[in-house]
Amino acid sequence: MLKDYASGERLPEIKKDIDQKRIDGWAALSGDFNRLHVDPVYAGKTHFKGTIAHGPMSLAFLNELMMTCFGRAWARGGLLREVRFLAPIRPGDSIRIGGVVEQVTEQGSGRTLHCRLEISKPNLEKSAVTGLAEVTIDGAQA
Amino acid sequence: MSDSKPELVFADLPQGRQFTPLRYEVTPTMVDEYLRVVGDHNPLYGDQAQKSGNRLAPPGLAAIYARLSYLQDNIMPSGGVLAGQEFSFRKPVSVGDVLTVRAEVMESYLDDKERKRVNFLITARDSKGDEVCLVRLYAIWPK
Repeated sequence: MLKDYASGERLPEIKKDIDQKRIDGWAALSGDFNRLHVDPVYAGKTHFKGTIAHGPMSLAFLNELMMTCFGRAWARGGLLREVRFLAPIRPGDSIRIGGVVEQVTEQGSGRTLHCRLEISKPNLEKSAVTGLAEVTIDGAQA
Repeated sequence: MSDSKPELVFADLPQGRQFTPLRYEVTPTMVDEYLRVVGDHNPLYGDQAQKSGNRLAPPGLAAIYARLSYLQDNIMPSGGVLAGQEFSFRKPVSVGDVLTVRAEVMESYLDDKERKRVNFLITARDSKGDEVCLVRLYAIWPK
């Protein structure tokens, strides 16, 4: 049974440790072998000074959070928008994926939850990734 | 991705261009690898569900080739900026589904600062032709 979230409530936080092996795994999975992600020597010479994780891997973490909280409702009608990559995620980073329900609107027998999501790093004051998410829960699903 | 492929430049991206659809099957191996790399242990995707013939796949798998769908024959020039993106999940994806992903250039123009703007709509459909995921990418193209 999924939790019934209210406005202002925080979503449960997920923690991940990022390493080069995980980034290489994402490259193999997605077919994106851009050297900025998989070649430490090349990436070390760029202004990033080292490899960085693929942006879509961060999106996968946000999807994981929403599926954990809202299950199939997210898969059948979730909307993730205004995603911003504000700081690179690097090997060695321990990141936290979380969010808050900013608003709940009632529509017939369903409720639409408007959430603000973020990926943060302990050593960074600002968020590394932000985004807005909307998901509608039918009355029968709640 | 081979560096021998030509770069995809702004002149290659007129409004209305549709790219060759990319087809792939959502296999148990692909789902397992996705879950392993992401570190996602949601029981919704577990093997137990597969025994009942309806193992759910992570919705992100429908979007994993969004970028590749317009870079099948080209490489991305360096220096571009992804100004925005949006993902709309329409229908759950199951293991065994064959997805077809098609990218289309919805807008291609120079903005008021002479930056090259390219907006893509990438649609993933299942074998029934139903939309499972829509991705909108708003890019500033480097050259």
